[in-house]
Amino acid sequence: MEKEARKAPGLLGQAWLILLLAAFFGSSLAGVEIALKPRIERNKRNETFGQIPFLVPGGSSQKSVETRMGGIRVIRVLSDKGDHLGWVLPASGQGFADRIELLVGLDRKAERITGLYVLDQKETPGLGSHIQDKDGFLRGFEGQPADKSLRVVKGRPAPHSGGIRAITGATISSLSVCNIVNRAVRDFRKALAGSEGKD
Amino acid sequence: MVDSGPTALERFINGILPENPTYRQLLGMCPTLAVTNGLKPALTMAGATAFVLICANFITSLIRNALKPHLRILVFTLTIATFVTIADRFLQAFMPAMSKVLGPYVPLIIVNCIIIARCEVCASKQPVGTALADALGCSLGFALGLASIASVREILGTGCLLGARVLPEAWPNWGIMVLPPGAFLTLGLLLGLVEWAGAARKKAGGNQG
Amino acid sequence: MNHLVDLLLIAVGAAFINNFVLHYFVGICPFIGVSRRVDQAFGMGLAVTFVVTIASFLAWFFTWFVTRPGAPVTAWVWGLFAPGSRTVLDLSILNYLIYIFVIASSVQFVEMYLKRFFPALFKAFGVYLPLITTNCAILFACLEIMKHVSGVRDPAAAWGLDQALALAVFGGLGFALAITMMAGIREELDLCDIPEPLKGAGITLLTAGIMAMAFMGFTGVDRGLAAFLR
Repeated sequence: MEKEARKAPGLLGQAWLILLLAAFFGSSLAGVEIALKPRIERNKRNETFGQIPFLVPGGSSQKSVETRMGGIRVIRVLSDKGDHLGWVLPASGQGFADRIELLVGLDRKAERITGLYVLDQKETPGLGSHIQDKDGFLRGFEGQPADKSLRVVKGRPAPHSGGIRAITGATISSLSVCNIVNRAVRDFRKALAGSEGKD
Repeated sequence: MVDSGPTALERFINGILPENPTYRQLLGMCPTLAVTNGLKPALTMAGATAFVLICANFITSLIRNALKPHLRILVFTLTIATFVTIADRFLQAFMPAMSKVLGPYVPLIIVNCIIIARCEVCASKQPVGTALADALGCSLGFALGLASIASVREILGTGCLLGARVLPEAWPNWGIMVLPPGAFLTLGLLLGLVEWAGAARKKAGGNQG
Repeated sequence: MNHLVDLLLIAVGAAFINNFVLHYFVGICPFIGVSRRVDQAFGMGLAVTFVVTIASFLAWFFTWFVTRPGAPVTAWVWGLFAPGSRTVLDLSILNYLIYIFVIASSVQFVEMYLKRFFPALFKAFGVYLPLITTNCAILFACLEIMKHVSGVRDPAAAWGLDQALALAVFGGLGFALAITMMAGIREELDLCDIPEPLKGAGITLLTAGIMAMAFMGFTGVDRGLAAFLR
């Protein structure tokens, strides 16, 4: 091995090579960034804004804007024509396994919940993960009153009574989602009332 | 150096089964355990690793004669980190859902021992063609390792493979298989199985000879 | 008070519930390789804790001040070149490169520092230090911190230095706990009659699987703890 005597250039040559490589890597990274950045940004925006039509009926993903109200981050949902239809409220909190991130759809006066979507969750697969079932658990939140706290019940609750049917084997996950929604909606209603008082 | 080691083709084949990175060398264990709860993330991971491994081996082989050893490791790391960043951005741009599932395990390719090991052992001493064949073989071997574990876990854990049902509806999903303990158990048992098969074949070969 | 509870929850989460090894599978190589004897495993665990703390501190520092969108240092330098520009620079594409160099240099630094000032300590776990550079646990801690600094949807929820350090220290301690426990079990396993093909890595992985199941029992503890403390 040693005898092979690599024709390694001197220190100066190596320094140049490393500079050259660094320039090459740097420019390729810059190229990737410039080419892909808009797309990545769009994907990120779509993750939240893409859900708006399903959370607030008639809402537009393009027109709606993110604002702050009393320090709370909220999306003001507008229709295609620019009419104010409602709100989408990002909410998060501790679930059974890890944090759960939700989007809560509310009507214009924040009196009713119009929809719920799970952005991120790591609950137990097959049990707690059912909190993201659009036709099951999440459907139960649609049309619920927002002025009183939702509670988890076992068995079938009366429609729009503030009762949410617990998922079998995942009571804590169900309860966590309810609590996160309750807290976020309560805080937001307070902020909304405060801002309307000022106007 | 008179003996030039195995040829390109031999290296390619070696990487797949005889020196399989997962079962034989126990390299790159984090992704092997972490992203194998479904076949799709496992294959995406294998693809990303293959891209980085092939590119890194190529660059390393190109500059193999120009650098002293202590600078070499530095340049490897630089190369690998750059290609991993590129792979990560591509996933974020074109497969956002999958990128979210894989999470930190894509950037963790940087410290995947397979890549450093192949760069150091093979690509820093061999011409470009051989290095590429080596990287290709190793990537296929790694993909095979990931896919086998992922198939077992996804089938037993959800009764499906790539989302298509393979076991009857009545199958009680073994939830534990898609959770972290299932990864350890599956890999442990599969390793035992491979060892056992290898030993049995050696025994049979010995009897015949 | 709420902030302290948050820190405690991060710590408990990192050490027990989402244990680096048993939940996130990072640092598996030393977990299998250096878990034959309890004293070695403990040394490795402490070395990792030490390095992960330093690397996380630096990683948080660079992410916060240099690479996150709108970072102060970057904005200031940009202001020198293009005064009055309203562009918000985002250097997060450089994150991975920075982290890997931060890790490599903190390992070097720790090695030199120990050699010079604590020769006894250096003798005890100096041999593990070079191995740590390619230990995924360290990079993983940096990545988690990145996720909570520049990847958050709500900028107000970005992690400060204290939260980053809580994750790093307790994540490292959780790693030390897991690897020491595993070494204790393996010392006993040496006396057992294990099927031939499973010897070595096989039985270690199976044991780790059972340990991971045991650690799953911690799930939900943080929720109860938070409810109790608040």
